Amino acid sequence: MRFFLLFVLCLAGLGLSAPGPARAATAPAGSASTLADAATIARLADAPRWQALLHYNPGATLRGVGESYVDDKDFFLAPDGASDAAHELAASIQALAAPDSAARCRYPARYKFIAKHLGWDTRDALAHCTAYQDWRSRMPIGRLVMVFPAAYLNSPSSMFGHTLLRLDASAEPESAYLSRAINFAAQSTTADGSVLYAWRGLAGGYPGRFSVNSYVETIHRYGFIENRDIWEYPLNLDHDELDWLVRHLWELRGVNFDYYFFDENCSFRLLELIHTARPAADLLSGQRIAELPVHTIRTLKRAGLVSGRDYRPSKIHALQHRADRLDANQRRLAQRLVNHTELLDTPAFQRLSPADRHRVAQVAYQALRVKGRKNTRRDETARDSLALLRAVQANPAPDVPPVEPPAPPEDGHGTHLVSLAGGRLDGAAYGEFGFRMTYHDVLDRPQGFPTGAGIEGFDLAVRAYDNGEIKLERLGLVNIRSIVPRGTFFKPVSWFVDGGLEQTPVRDTRQLGLYLHGGPGVSWRVGDVMPYVFAAGRVETVATQEPTVATGVGANAGALWITPHVQWGLSVEQLYFAQHFDRKQARVSANVPVSRNNAIRAQCNYEAWRSSGRTGCQVAFRHYF
Amino acid sequence: MKKILLGAALLGVSVSASAVSPGGDGCGWGNLVFEGKSGLPVHLLATTVNGTSGNKTFGMTSGTNGCDTSGALTYDGKSLLAMNGMLEEVAQDMAVGHGEALTALSVSMGIEPGDRAYFDQVMHQHFADVFPSQDVDAGQVMTHIDSVMQQDARLKVYTS
Repeated sequence: MRFFLLFVLCLAGLGLSAPGPARAATAPAGSASTLADAATIARLADAPRWQALLHYNPGATLRGVGESYVDDKDFFLAPDGASDAAHELAASIQALAAPDSAARCRYPARYKFIAKHLGWDTRDALAHCTAYQDWRSRMPIGRLVMVFPAAYLNSPSSMFGHTLLRLDASAEPESAYLSRAINFAAQSTTADGSVLYAWRGLAGGYPGRFSVNSYVETIHRYGFIENRDIWEYPLNLDHDELDWLVRHLWELRGVNFDYYFFDENCSFRLLELIHTARPAADLLSGQRIAELPVHTIRTLKRAGLVSGRDYRPSKIHALQHRADRLDANQRRLAQRLVNHTELLDTPAFQRLSPADRHRVAQVAYQALRVKGRKNTRRDETARDSLALLRAVQANPAPDVPPVEPPAPPEDGHGTHLVSLAGGRLDGAAYGEFGFRMTYHDVLDRPQGFPTGAGIEGFDLAVRAYDNGEIKLERLGLVNIRSIVPRGTFFKPVSWFVDGGLEQTPVRDTRQLGLYLHGGPGVSWRVGDVMPYVFAAGRVETVATQEPTVATGVGANAGALWITPHVQWGLSVEQLYFAQHFDRKQARVSANVPVSRNNAIRAQCNYEAWRSSGRTGCQVAFRHYF
Repeated sequence: MKKILLGAALLGVSVSASAVSPGGDGCGWGNLVFEGKSGLPVHLLATTVNGTSGNKTFGMTSGTNGCDTSGALTYDGKSLLAMNGMLEEVAQDMAVGHGEALTALSVSMGIEPGDRAYFDQVMHQHFADVFPSQDVDAGQVMTHIDSVMQQDARLKVYTS
């Protein structure tokens, strides 16, 4: 019911925000046939730009090929405009012909297309469109930038990420803070529960819309509150191309699209929008089961649109960068200053050089602010913040060099995986075929991904044993691992959750069981090594095991040793089940990337039900695509 | 509140400007420096499916309360300062002596490129005048900046 109401609201919104529905346009100057002949209409209706302006699916996704993605009948002027580009063109020609036509104000990009091809006089053609002109005069139109906020700390699912566009006032804007952000997002209500929210997001229950707001809000939200690094990719669209895009953006104001998390999501819609600016670019071919932001960046690069790359570190990275430049004593002092600004007046701080005072106070200040942003405003925090800033201001220092950007996300390995492995399990040889739909595990080639963060969806492994048996080894539905080291300033909680089907040790056999496994933990960093400990809980059901559902608790400990050339993993786990059995598992793995998209992974595994255990080892060739 | 925001977002214009700050929760003259958590939901699932819970406009809001999010050409220093989180950043940049937020402020105040480094320097020197206490709000900070500029021969021309 709520949903219905919202829909009504948005229809009302169109009536209020646009200068009257276009179909009510006054006095057409003539029928389309007097303005353009049928052959011209047919030819122009097939033009890539016209198809792009109507958001026709060129075969990029499976639903509705040859029809418009726009799920909003008010967007079309012809009754069958969503599926017949020629009818829509004819209706548009008719509606846009009159010089004082209200439709011109609603469809400035369509007008530009038709006027250009039919040779209409475009002088003052949109002069009567005051709302559009007003909006347009506020839109900077110097440069378009694709923006990709990377994963945020301790939330591997955010690796899938979000993308948005930014419009700058010039090719070298004075301040990106004054630029505009173009977002496409599902319009949901937070009143819906999380599960319903996720389901609708995945299955298409929410309409998606474009919105335009201030880029500084984007920086604040992603960079400061969510602590995500932001990657920015300037595009080489020229002024005329940007004019198409901005005109069309106006046409999309308040227009509903279907929103599907997997394919018709923000990244895909932004590509479509860019497509209207440069229809000749190869942006929408060969699509697209799971459109990920990182694909979008790669697609734009491949099509030759990307002209640069900027990196904007999150507040936490900027803080770490500064803290790394302090010595251990200074770091400890900064840590104590966070909650004890009275130390600013003690010799411990005062005997430092002015430049060191500046650096220590600045680190303390930034740490305090990162913490402060998690809670509501407190008087003591505000007082301490100002005291630290005064110390920063009173003690000048040369600026530290900027944060060195890590490997950019588009240089990471492909998001799908196939693997072929050979191994032995308790003396039986097997070959294994594996396929992983998405995305990255903690031992995969680390470049372009946050260390210690893994998310896998639909992870299949099938084994053929030397006795001819073929068995499903694993069908992981979701496996998320967030191993975040605790540092001087922040003490994050690591966590993992893993669920699906897998071969489970039961007495002296292995049987397919359904399981859910997970828990919280802690991790540290010692050089390149990250040791960790998790408290683990597990629920499982194995057909032949009695009782049917078993629940266990225990612990899981291990370490990651991530270097650019080899990634090592070690883990041991012991679980005690309420059904009077226990299970152990130990595993050591080494992953050796041989190129960006190929790796060798060796792994040995010991698993046991009570005391009856078995050992296996395998070597796999892994190819990402 | 969320629903009202969503309604406003769907309507696409600031028809309910009296009910909601167009710039979002916490946006406005009363914004204090060193603000805490804002109204933005940091939500695992929300992030996963790239949703938004409203508070999105089409860049059409205009500043009745100093919170204009309508973009570069109509920003002035006031509306920028009144935006969530900006005051804190400006404070830090002034303490350090330069920074992106301070540049954005000087650009939006119409300060010529040749005078911006000087503006940064003056603001750095007068940090204590601009931020005399931890409880100043955006309106007060703007007044303080203005009076510092009034007293400076070179920056005086930019004040109204």
